[in-house]
Amino acid sequence: MLIEDDSVLGAAVRDQLTSDGQSVDWVQRLDEATRALDAASFDLILLDLMLPDGRGIPFLKRFRGRNEPIPVIIMTALDQISERIEGLNAGADDYLVKPFDLTELSARIGSVGRRYAGNPNPSLTHGSLIIDLAAKTVCRDNKYISLTAREWVLFETFIAKPKQLFSKHQLEEKLYAFDQDIESNTIEVHISRIRKKLGADIINTERGLGYRLGSA
Amino acid sequence: MIQRYSLQQRLGLVLSLLLMLVWIGAAWMTVIKTRAEMNRVFDSALQETAQRILPLVVVELIGRDQLDVTQRSAAIREHQEFLTYLVRDERGRILLLSHDADLNTFPSWQSVGFSQSASHRFYNEEALEGSIRLTIAEPLAYRQSLVRQIQTGFWTPLLIFFPISLLIVYVAVRLNFLPLRRFRERLALRGPQDLSSISIEDSPAEILPMVETINGLLKRLSEAFDAERHFAAHAAHEIRTPLAGAIAQAQRLQLESIDVAVRRRALDIETTLKRLTRLSERLMQLARVEGGSLRKDYPSDLKFVASILIDELKRTFGEGLIILEAPTEPLLSDIDPDVFAILLRNLIENALRHGDINSPCHVLLTPDGQLIVTNHGLVVPKADLDRLVNRFERLGDNKEGSGLGLAIVYSISERLDLKLNLSSPIPGQLEGFQVSLSLPVDRRDRA
Repeated sequence: MLIEDDSVLGAAVRDQLTSDGQSVDWVQRLDEATRALDAASFDLILLDLMLPDGRGIPFLKRFRGRNEPIPVIIMTALDQISERIEGLNAGADDYLVKPFDLTELSARIGSVGRRYAGNPNPSLTHGSLIIDLAAKTVCRDNKYISLTAREWVLFETFIAKPKQLFSKHQLEEKLYAFDQDIESNTIEVHISRIRKKLGADIINTERGLGYRLGSA
Repeated sequence: MIQRYSLQQRLGLVLSLLLMLVWIGAAWMTVIKTRAEMNRVFDSALQETAQRILPLVVVELIGRDQLDVTQRSAAIREHQEFLTYLVRDERGRILLLSHDADLNTFPSWQSVGFSQSASHRFYNEEALEGSIRLTIAEPLAYRQSLVRQIQTGFWTPLLIFFPISLLIVYVAVRLNFLPLRRFRERLALRGPQDLSSISIEDSPAEILPMVETINGLLKRLSEAFDAERHFAAHAAHEIRTPLAGAIAQAQRLQLESIDVAVRRRALDIETTLKRLTRLSERLMQLARVEGGSLRKDYPSDLKFVASILIDELKRTFGEGLIILEAPTEPLLSDIDPDVFAILLRNLIENALRHGDINSPCHVLLTPDGQLIVTNHGLVVPKADLDRLVNRFERLGDNKEGSGLGLAIVYSISERLDLKLNLSSPIPGQLEGFQVSLSLPVDRRDRA
């Protein structure tokens, strides 16, 4: 979820994250953010600290009181280091000072996401695959295997939690913002493409339940 | 240093002097009055004695056979004659003297009544139509001796009671100045950053208006600082957010466009916007350090602030380019942590932008509050070193920096009265640039 009131910056951030394969819900007010959090779950929150209906830090403190293990990266235009320290003390996992490079934003999101997944190390191996989560590359026998943004998001979801079973609905949530129409067979199409590129056994289907990471 | 007078001492001195004058005046008036009364009594006695003697003298002289004989009275028994007398006729012939009368003492006859010489008091009385004239004399020495005894009787207690009354004045003045002393102590205990109201609970009526005025001024100052901080925060947000949006859109344009010219143009826009961002940031920092309060009324750990800042700068400049050496224990100081961060950021960015790109910048924080930032690079001539602390000064043709970094550092050091030292080359070496500052640190926790 992106909580940012500036339209120009918000649009650029949304486009950047979407091109990274992320599904972005963008709100511009804290009350909208609260309603969105009550309605859905998110993998990460990008929070601006100065919003039209309040400041981000009290919102962050209230959010942390809900004990939901969701990483939060604060975006601040305030140039005082005390504000950044206050944000970290309030429960932020990282911060970005405006203006920031969009590539740094992507890197910070990846870094925080990996920390929350319990593995801050960006490099993994899975069978014969060498996976670089920061660079978003997959390699086998010294050959890079290209994945689209959507394919990468799905693959990263599985590789981050290798033993977890993911339902189709959970995978759909990873791919689409709430304001986009979901096609009924999109997940099956993407998983089929991943199997073609990485091996038929890379993802196991558990009929009626969902999908789980397989062997490479 | 201007010597200021003490109200307490002045009041005590004035009261003591006045008391002394009053004591002296009262004693003096008492002595005068007593002496006058004493003289009256003595004169009365002298007159009474003359009037008692005269009839006896008249009787004796009438019974004389020869009137032109001078006779001296004989003493019945030996004694010192205190009062002496002389009897004359109208022609001034001495007819009778008391046994100890000294003729040289008595003046010529003037009239009935009192008169005085340097040594004696006289009373003249006459009888038989002035044909018999009596003059009685009393030595003034006795009266003077009595006056001296009376004066001594007054002055001697004064010598005892006067110091006691001075002590009472001193104690009374000190006690009554106690509220002022308490007020002074309350002010002395406050640090320069303490803008809270001064307590008025035991302020006397005379200084209450002053305390209320000071509290009013403190409130206005506190509100002004809060307004400045609030404005600075909002100004930063209002400037940085649209700049962030414009830079982000320029970056998206570079990513989304396949036209090389468009991408080049977008890159130029991004570069210019980033320069504008840095300049506006420096200008806001300069306004902040020149206008607002630079200290807090509580200490902060500068080592923690330095580590947070350096972690942030490493994201921009890369790992390994900034090396921090700091003590293991916290480095507490009442410098505003945001001001310290501004100071350190400018020093480090200056070092990295203008130093050798292949060698790191060293930041040293010592337990006694020395901050030393060092970078390798070309030597900066002395003449350039002196002008670099001025605004918009740059080295040579370098147009990259804002020219405000060291000016901001200098402004902070001036306002906080820190000793700032710029050296090039690095002391003991042949190249490089070093900035050192002595920070005010709280040494209590390190005792």
